[in-house]
Amino acid sequence: MSEVLLEMKGVSVKFGGLTALSDIDYSITSRSLACIIGPNGAGKSTFLNVLTGTLRPSIGSVAFRGRDIGGLALHRISRLGIARKFQIPSVFPSLSVAENMDVARWGAAREPDETDVLEMVGLSARRDVKAADLSHGEKQWLEIGMAIAASPKLLLLDEPTAGMTSQETQATAALLHRLKRHTAIIAVEHDISFVRALDTDTLVLHQGRLFRRGPFSEIEADEAVRDVYLGRR
Amino acid sequence: MKHRGRLVALAAGTCVLSIYPAFADEYHLTVLRDALLFGLFAVSLDFFWGSTGILSFGHATFFGLGGYVMTLVTMTSGLPAPSVLGLFAAVGAPAALAAIVGYFLLFGGVRGSFFTIVTLALSVIAQQLVISWSSVTGGDTGLLGVPPLALGGYEISGAMATYIVVAVTLIVVLLALRALEQSRWGKILIAIGDNEVRAAALGHNAPARLTLTFVISAAVAGFAGGLYVAIAGVVAPDLIGLLLSTEVIVWVAIGGRGTLLGPVVGAVLVQRAQQEISSMNPSLWPLILGCTFVIIVFVAPDGVMSIAERSRMLLRRRSA
Ligand SMILES: Nc1ncnc2c1ncn2[C@@H]1O[C@H](COP(=O)(O)OP(=O)(O)OP(=O)(O)O)[C@@H](O)[C@H]1O
Ligand SMILES: [Mg+2]
Repeated sequence: MSEVLLEMKGVSVKFGGLTALSDIDYSITSRSLACIIGPNGAGKSTFLNVLTGTLRPSIGSVAFRGRDIGGLALHRISRLGIARKFQIPSVFPSLSVAENMDVARWGAAREPDETDVLEMVGLSARRDVKAADLSHGEKQWLEIGMAIAASPKLLLLDEPTAGMTSQETQATAALLHRLKRHTAIIAVEHDISFVRALDTDTLVLHQGRLFRRGPFSEIEADEAVRDVYLGRR
Repeated sequence: MKHRGRLVALAAGTCVLSIYPAFADEYHLTVLRDALLFGLFAVSLDFFWGSTGILSFGHATFFGLGGYVMTLVTMTSGLPAPSVLGLFAAVGAPAALAAIVGYFLLFGGVRGSFFTIVTLALSVIAQQLVISWSSVTGGDTGLLGVPPLALGGYEISGAMATYIVVAVTLIVVLLALRALEQSRWGKILIAIGDNEVRAAALGHNAPARLTLTFVISAAVAGFAGGLYVAIAGVVAPDLIGLLLSTEVIVWVAIGGRGTLLGPVVGAVLVQRAQQEISSMNPSLWPLILGCTFVIIVFVAPDGVMSIAERSRMLLRRRSA
């Protein structure tokens, strides 16, 4: 029973003369895990910005559960069940860890019960610490925790493992595989070891175009993808 | 810890206010009473500025509007319970104005200095309006003989009675706003103040929450204005103008932005200083006020209390 959760049709985003995304057709089903890779400036964050309503596509449409979400206000899209972890940790510095999680839960259309998300992201001992006083790695985990807290239907993660140790990176991959049972996930990532650990449906963006899509094993073996990463193309 | 400290401060303040009448003569009682009314006004500004980080430079518009509306309602003859009706209007009219202003500015994405400048213009316009529309407002001189507060035929006048009304009102409002700040509502407001886009991405309707906070703030300001004119017996354009809008910012900044109680202390102390200074040289005060304001903006935009906090942090870092 895997319905189509998200569908992008002919989506392009232009910044002045620069085309950051070009004619993207893409869809994912509920409870699936996808990964987006691509070199710097390939359009990965822009891709997520379109899904969360931070950016409006210049051309094309984005439908979530059959509903066009182009031009909806940010908080409305969020309330439909799309959560996001930002590339740069942007937790609320004036609030405590627990309060950050509360604010994330309270924003959901149907407020989920308090769960042990803090436990899952390893921050339960830091509940009462002000988010401003967390280390960079802890902020990353808090970001992930906040994105999970609202129990979204679609979870978008922009470079979740940036600045993590390789152990933490593996833990994150395991966490995502567990979460996949409840929610669809799209993770943007640079770290190939992480993508390998995810070992899932992978999308390669290159200069704003959807360059390849397939299981990671295929993508990894693809000569053209290697060329893109090594800058030969 | 911090919250406990503030509750203790509030309790201490309540004690001081209850003991003061035993020592003060009638004149000093009325002086403190009036200062506390302006303190209530400062609290209203702090509720918005402190919790959202957005500065309204036209808050006297709401205080003054409350005052004028109260005057017009209570001076209309033949109304039942004019004081009650007047206070309702003194709350309702500023709240409605804030809703309109908030809708256009806050939903329109106007923030930061732009919001500050537009609200400043609001105060200038309001003052111009009440000066020009003299058939209703009494123009430059304002209106004398605003009836005192009355409840069920009993008039609340005299230094002691009005002092009690003001002190009790102030404490009740402080407690209510504190409760609001510590509730879910307050937490979400802090989050919006920290990072509005992030809060919206979590599903919070930031413009709506900011606007409602602005409306509550304006309602409290209007209530303070309504009480003030009924107790003072007069209303005049200086209650709605730019000077008062500036002064209230100074009170809040000196008392400590975001503390609610601090601005009351700031209002009382600064007004005391103003009296001392004006009695030496009447033209000195605006100059000092202006300088204080500039210093606050450049040195301590988060309020004078933040200097203490920052130096404490510096000391701790040095000793560590
Ligand atoms: N708001 C913006 N205005 C103008 N140009 C932008 C904007 N956002 C992104 N771009 C440009 O669009 C292109 C794609 O940017 P994007 O942030 O999506 O890349 P990315 O794949 O996320 O890169 P990175 O790996 O560095 O995070 C880049 O050339 C970037 O400079
Ligand atoms: Mg990016």
